[in-house]
Amino acid sequence: MKLPSLLRRTPFRLTLLFVALFAAAASAVLAYVYIASANEARAKAQADVTAEFEVLSGIYRERGPDALNVALVDRTIRGGSYLYTLMDADGGLITGNLTESPIDIVPRGTGDGGTVPVWETFTYTDNDASGRVIRPQSLGMQARLSGGEILFVGQSMGDTEAYLGRLTQALWAAMGIVLLLGLAGGLLVSRNLERAMGRLNSVVVAVQEGDLKARAPVRHSGDELDELGQGLNTMLDRLEGSMASIRHAGDAIAHDLRSPLTRMRAKLEVALIDAEAGKIDGTEALELALSEADDLLKTFNTVLAIARLQAAAGSGRTPDPAIFDAADLAADMAELYEPASEDKGLEFSAEIERGLMVSANQPFLAQALANIIDNAIKYTPVGGAVMLRARRRSSGEIEFSVTDTGPGVPEDDRERVIQRFVRLDNSRTEPGSGLGLSLVGAVMEAHGGRIVLDEGPGAYEGFGPGLRVALVLPAAEG
Amino acid sequence: MRILVVEDDAEAATAMVRGLTEAGHEVTHAVDGAFGLLEAQKGGYDVYVVDRMMPRLDGIGMVETLRKDGDQTPVLFLSALGEVEDRVVGLKAGGDDYLVKPYAFAELIARVEALSRRRETGSVATVLKVGDLEMNLIARTVHRAGQEIDLQPREFQLLEFLMRHAGQSVTRTMLLEKVWEYHFDPQTNVIDVHISRLRAKIDKGFDKAMLQTVRGAGYRLEA
Repeated sequence: MKLPSLLRRTPFRLTLLFVALFAAAASAVLAYVYIASANEARAKAQADVTAEFEVLSGIYRERGPDALNVALVDRTIRGGSYLYTLMDADGGLITGNLTESPIDIVPRGTGDGGTVPVWETFTYTDNDASGRVIRPQSLGMQARLSGGEILFVGQSMGDTEAYLGRLTQALWAAMGIVLLLGLAGGLLVSRNLERAMGRLNSVVVAVQEGDLKARAPVRHSGDELDELGQGLNTMLDRLEGSMASIRHAGDAIAHDLRSPLTRMRAKLEVALIDAEAGKIDGTEALELALSEADDLLKTFNTVLAIARLQAAAGSGRTPDPAIFDAADLAADMAELYEPASEDKGLEFSAEIERGLMVSANQPFLAQALANIIDNAIKYTPVGGAVMLRARRRSSGEIEFSVTDTGPGVPEDDRERVIQRFVRLDNSRTEPGSGLGLSLVGAVMEAHGGRIVLDEGPGAYEGFGPGLRVALVLPAAEG
Repeated sequence: MRILVVEDDAEAATAMVRGLTEAGHEVTHAVDGAFGLLEAQKGGYDVYVVDRMMPRLDGIGMVETLRKDGDQTPVLFLSALGEVEDRVVGLKAGGDDYLVKPYAFAELIARVEALSRRRETGSVATVLKVGDLEMNLIARTVHRAGQEIDLQPREFQLLEFLMRHAGQSVTRTMLLEKVWEYHFDPQTNVIDVHISRLRAKIDKGFDKAMLQTVRGAGYRLEA
């Protein structure tokens, strides 16, 4: 992995950002500790110096300049942490372990009696225990005593200095380690993510290039990348499924249209021969051609509708569903078909329960009902009966059924008649494409329902045994 | 009647112009939505017949623009897209009727003529009169030559539609769509049976048969 490309990677960028944030936070802590410690050291030195000065000026007040001198000599010999300089009123050195006060001599008349001391931070040159020259940071105060002598007292803040130095060093070191570890961690995370993303990416690329079979490896680790991979796979499965069903539908349409086209061509050829022979005139031939074209168009639309419904069933979604009362639909259908049925000399009756809410594609469901009612009217001989029922089954499903007293369909053929273009021998004299029940089946499939064919009321007086076609579909939820 | 046909398929357009002209209408053809829009904005048309899918400006866009400009001329959409949602999109965009390709000329002409009439009868009439046939929409009664005719509710609706389009051909599909409000193929002649029952009620015993069959098209109520 080259560095410039690495810099563009999200995980690595995030790592860098976090490392930088950490460094900033560490610096802030460092600065705070430093300032706080420095202030404390200064305050302590100031308090110490003030106290020492009070003690010394007390000695001066009570026992005079000589006693102070003695005390200072004594302290210098004993060696403490304090620095002293005692000067006469003109600034001449009297005694002290510091030969020259680091603070300028204030003019006489100022600070008399030690009232207004002057403070100053300074450094002085000294040797430490091992003999090295050091210049510790120090703090001192200076004031005139009541007799006019000038006393300076100071103290090194050296100890604090060293402590802070060590602290600073440690923090810098820690920061360095954090930076190193952070960068290394970032690289590692980046590379891992890079690999995982690479695997997903190669699937996407493969699909782009047309390989719908490509799938992302899934480790079942439950992390987001794994979930993404699983999601990608599910999506591809769906896509592949619908592609397959489209291809299947295309094949089916091509196959289904070949026979009606062949039929149409043959009929037109016969018409042409007849027209040439003068048996029919040109207008008749054209009218025949037109009606053949219309039939073919009808067949085509039906085949297309079946394909669309089957694709919908495959994806588990009803096309353009609406929630409506199927009882109204059934009543309208009964009203629409009753006259045609009675005209044919059939007794038509309807039994419709109220309140049958369904979520369905209304035109398709209407078409399905129309097809089975039309079939019943078509195949029932004069004097028979057709009955439409719509009810809620005990299972809660909605059921439409059409029962007739026609010849029925033998049990062995019931599965077969739902297939496309299947027409039973005794029905060939009736007009029809053989797609009616296939469409009904496809409509039910797309609604998560089913079509059930049963025997009708049984044989009697030359009628029957009849057919009962039931359409069962789930009721609308809620 | 002046009709603007907006259709990009040259052959389909030629046939349509021919058919509508034969039926006695004055037809102008525009080759796409943009030209259609320009032509429509000149004004003076009774009906627009608009293909849904065209290059440049499609039919939906064209009709939406016209409706925004306040043009209320009736629109018949033609489309190869025949699913429910396509129909809904067309009607939402401001279409008044929707015909799926391919269609029979008789169907196209009947629908175009029905649309033009629709605008004229926009006022709220309580009584419809065609010849000696009279329909009271409030009392829901029908009289022919003063003689009351008893109709079932659906027969009343059917006759109302025919009376509103008196003198025009209406197709079986139109009747199923406008009177029953269903969009499906009834397979058999169910509409014919309803018509013949209605005919038996309004024409039986009278010299003149008002409800006529138009060959290859459908029905027409004549005064």
